[in-house]
Amino acid sequence: MRHVTRKERREIRFFRCGGATSRPNADAPTSSPDSIMEPNPKPNHGISAYYQTRAEHHAIISGDWLSQAQAAAAAGHPPEEPPASAAASKPFSVIDEFNHWRRKPDLAEAVAAIMALVAGIRSSDATTMMELEIELKKASDALKSWDTTSISLSAGCDLFMRYVTRTSALEYDDFHAAKLRLIERGEKFGEISLKARRTIAMLGQDFIFDGCTILVHGFSRVVLEVLKLAASNRKLFRVFCTEGRPDKTGLRLSKELATLGIPVKLLIDSAVAYAMDEVDMVLVGADGVVESGGVINMMGTYQTALVAHSMNKPVYVAAESYKFARLYPLDQKDLEPALRLIEFGVPIPAGVEIEKSARDYTPPQYLTLLFTDLGVLTPSVVSDELIQLYL
Amino acid sequence: MPDLQALVTDFVLKLKRRKIEGSQATAKQTAELLRQVVSQQRMPYTNQASVLIDAVRAVGEQLIAANPIGELSNSYLFLAVGNIVRRVLHIIREENLSSTTAAMEGLGLTAGSDDDEGEHEDRPGLSAAAVAAAARSTLRAPSLQTLLEDIPESAVAPHPSSSGGDSEGKSKSADRGSRSKKLKHDVIEAINELIQDIDTCHELISEQAVEHIHQNEVILTLGRSRTVKEFLCAAKEKKRTFRVFVAEGAPRYQGHVLAKELVGKGIQTTVITDSAVFAMISRVNMVIVGAHAIMANGGVIAPVGINMVALAAQRHAVPFVVVAGSHKLCPLYPHNPEVLLNEFRCPSDLLDFGEFSDCMDYGSLGGSPLLHVVNPAFDYVQPKLVSLFITDTGGHNPSYVYRLIADYYSADDLVVQQNST
Repeated sequence: MRHVTRKERREIRFFRCGGATSRPNADAPTSSPDSIMEPNPKPNHGISAYYQTRAEHHAIISGDWLSQAQAAAAAGHPPEEPPASAAASKPFSVIDEFNHWRRKPDLAEAVAAIMALVAGIRSSDATTMMELEIELKKASDALKSWDTTSISLSAGCDLFMRYVTRTSALEYDDFHAAKLRLIERGEKFGEISLKARRTIAMLGQDFIFDGCTILVHGFSRVVLEVLKLAASNRKLFRVFCTEGRPDKTGLRLSKELATLGIPVKLLIDSAVAYAMDEVDMVLVGADGVVESGGVINMMGTYQTALVAHSMNKPVYVAAESYKFARLYPLDQKDLEPALRLIEFGVPIPAGVEIEKSARDYTPPQYLTLLFTDLGVLTPSVVSDELIQLYL
Repeated sequence: MPDLQALVTDFVLKLKRRKIEGSQATAKQTAELLRQVVSQQRMPYTNQASVLIDAVRAVGEQLIAANPIGELSNSYLFLAVGNIVRRVLHIIREENLSSTTAAMEGLGLTAGSDDDEGEHEDRPGLSAAAVAAAARSTLRAPSLQTLLEDIPESAVAPHPSSSGGDSEGKSKSADRGSRSKKLKHDVIEAINELIQDIDTCHELISEQAVEHIHQNEVILTLGRSRTVKEFLCAAKEKKRTFRVFVAEGAPRYQGHVLAKELVGKGIQTTVITDSAVFAMISRVNMVIVGAHAIMANGGVIAPVGINMVALAAQRHAVPFVVVAGSHKLCPLYPHNPEVLLNEFRCPSDLLDFGEFSDCMDYGSLGGSPLLHVVNPAFDYVQPKLVSLFITDTGGHNPSYVYRLIADYYSADDLVVQQNST
C-alpha cells in the first residue's frame, strides 16, 4: 500500500501540471519505514495528509481507480486487501485501518478515525476495561500523531475515547458485553454521521428563502446536502461558488450543483468582495469548530467572512457536532501548520517564498449561526457543549 | 371533548378580537386552558406521556393555526401562546422522565419503562443506573455527550429478566397504575408553578431594578411597556433619584401615558419625539425598553421605533437593556414565517383620511393611488445591539439565550404545527 500512496501522489501532480513537474521533487517521501510495525510512512514534512486526502477526493483520478489501474497493469500484483481482514500476515495497525477508511470520498474524517479505533477494539485481546482503554489511548495517540493537522480526526478520537470512558463507568457486568456494545456503537457512528448531515440539511434549508443568493466557499459535503435538500423542496435560489484555489473546490461544487439544476456562478477568489453586494448569505462548511466558536476551514474562509461582516451579510457554518475540538487559537499562526502544494503553472524563481498554508481560522464574531446536528447554535454554545463533554 | 373545544374556540375568538391585553394575560390564559386540557384528559395505563403530549399538541395547533401568518395585528400574542404550549409540552416530558427514573431506581430491577411500543433493546446485564442515564439523555437536547448513545424514540425498554415472570409483571402494572395518577398530578402542579411564574414575573424583574439603576442616572425609554414602568417605579421606591426621557412612540403615543404614570410616582420625566432620540442619546446613561418577544438567537421583536433607539445607543456606547418576562422567550429563529412578517396597522393612525381623500382615492386614478401609507407594528433588533436581558430569572447576555431555551423547551416541540401542505 505504501507504493500506491507514493505513486498516487506523483501521478496526481503529474496530471494537474499537465505533464511537466517542473519543480524538483520537494516532497519526495522522506521516511522509509524500517519495520513491519509501521508499514505506512509518515506523510511528508510540509504536506498535510488531511488536505492530501481531500485533494485526492477532489481529483478527477481517484486513488482507488489508480490502484486498480496499477493492479491491472502489473498483472500478478496481489489486489489490495483491506488490512483488517489480513489476520496473520501483519499485526494490526490502526493507521492502516484509518487509511483504508478515509480513502472513501463520502466518509467523514472523524468517522474513519472512529472506524479505525473500533477495529482496534475488535482485534484487541484485552480482558478488562482498563486494558482496553489503555490500548485505545495508544491507538488514538498513534492516529493523532500520524496526522497532526487534521482537527476532525483528533476530535473524533477524543469523542470516542470519552464515550468509552463513560460507558465503562456505567458498570457493565460483563466485559464482553461492554466490548460488543462499544463495537456496535462505533460502527453505527458512520450512520450517525450521515444522519447528522441530514439533520443539518433540514435545519439549514429553513434559512434559504426564495430568490436568495448564497455564496459558498470550499467543497463541504454537508453544505452540498443543505443545498440539495433546499433544491428538492422547490426553493428558488442561486449559488455563487468561489474557485477555491488550489483545490479547485469551486469547479467540483459547481458541477454538482449544475446537475441538480441550481443556477451557479463561478467567481475567482478575489472577486468575493466585488460580488458580495448581491449576496444574501454566506454558507461554508468547517474542518473543525474550535472552543471559541470560531471555525477552521479552507483558506479563504476568513477573508470571505470579513467581507460579509463588513457588509452585514450573515455567515452560516454547517458542521457536524463531532468536529467540535478543544482548541483555542488566538491568531492564525496558532494552528498546527497544514501545508498544501500550490502549483502556479510556471516555474517560481529560487528566492521566492510561497504561502502554503491550506487553512485559516475565522473568529466567532464574524459568524452568525452554526448549523449542527445538535440544532442551530450561536457560536457561544460550542464551548458550553465542549465543557459538558470534557469536564 | 365538546366542553374543551368550546373553551378553545372561545379563547381563540378572544385573541382575535383583542379582548386580551398584553402577552402576560395571554400567556396566563393559555396556561390555564392547557391545565384544563390536561386535567380533563383520560389517562390510559400505558403510554401516558404521549397521550398527554398529543392532547396538548392538538390544542396548541388549533391555537397557533388561528393566527394566519402576518394577518392579525396582535400576532405577537400568538407567539406568546406558542411559547406556553411548548413550555407545557416540555413540562410533560420532564415530569414523565423524572417519574420514570424514580420508578426504575426504586424498583432496582432492570425492567420498567413507560412505553412498551418503543424500541426494545436486549441488553443483558445492564444496570438500572445505565438505563436511567440513557433515559435521561433522551430528554436533554442532543449534545456531544449523547452523540454516540443509542437514541430510541422513547425511554429505553430492556426486556425484563426471564426469571421475573408473573409476579414482576403484576408489580410493574400496579406500580404503573399509581404512577399514572402521579404523572397527571405532577404535570398539573408544574403548570400551576408556571402560572405562578407568569403572574409574578413583573415583581421578580422589578426586584432587580436597584442593581441596575444608580443614583442620578438618566434613563431613556420608548413607548410604554408595563414591565419597564414597574421596573422604574421599583427603583424609585428604593429611594433612587433618577430622570427618565420618554420618547413618545408615534403613532400610538403610548409614551404620553407612561410619562403621566411616572410623574404620578414622583419621577422626573421628559417627553421627547422619536426623532429627537439621536439628539438626546448622548446625555443618557442607559436605555431600558420592553419587548414583545425574544428570539432564539437573542434578537428582539419590539414595538416599532426601538430598533432606531438600539442603533442610536450603539452609536453612542449607551447600554441597551431589554426587560421581558421569560414567557416571552421564543425558541424560534427570525427566519421562521411565524415570526418574520411584520404587521401593518391602520393608516388612519398616521393620516386623517378626510384631508387626504383625494390622494388615496382608489376610484379616480384607475385603481392605484399615488399615496401609500404604511404603519408597521414591529421592529426586529439584532442580538449584537442588546447589552443585557433582564428576565425574571436574572440578567443575561444575548449569547446566553440558547441556554434558557434549552432549559424551558424541548427540541421535539419546535414544530407544533403539522405540515399539512
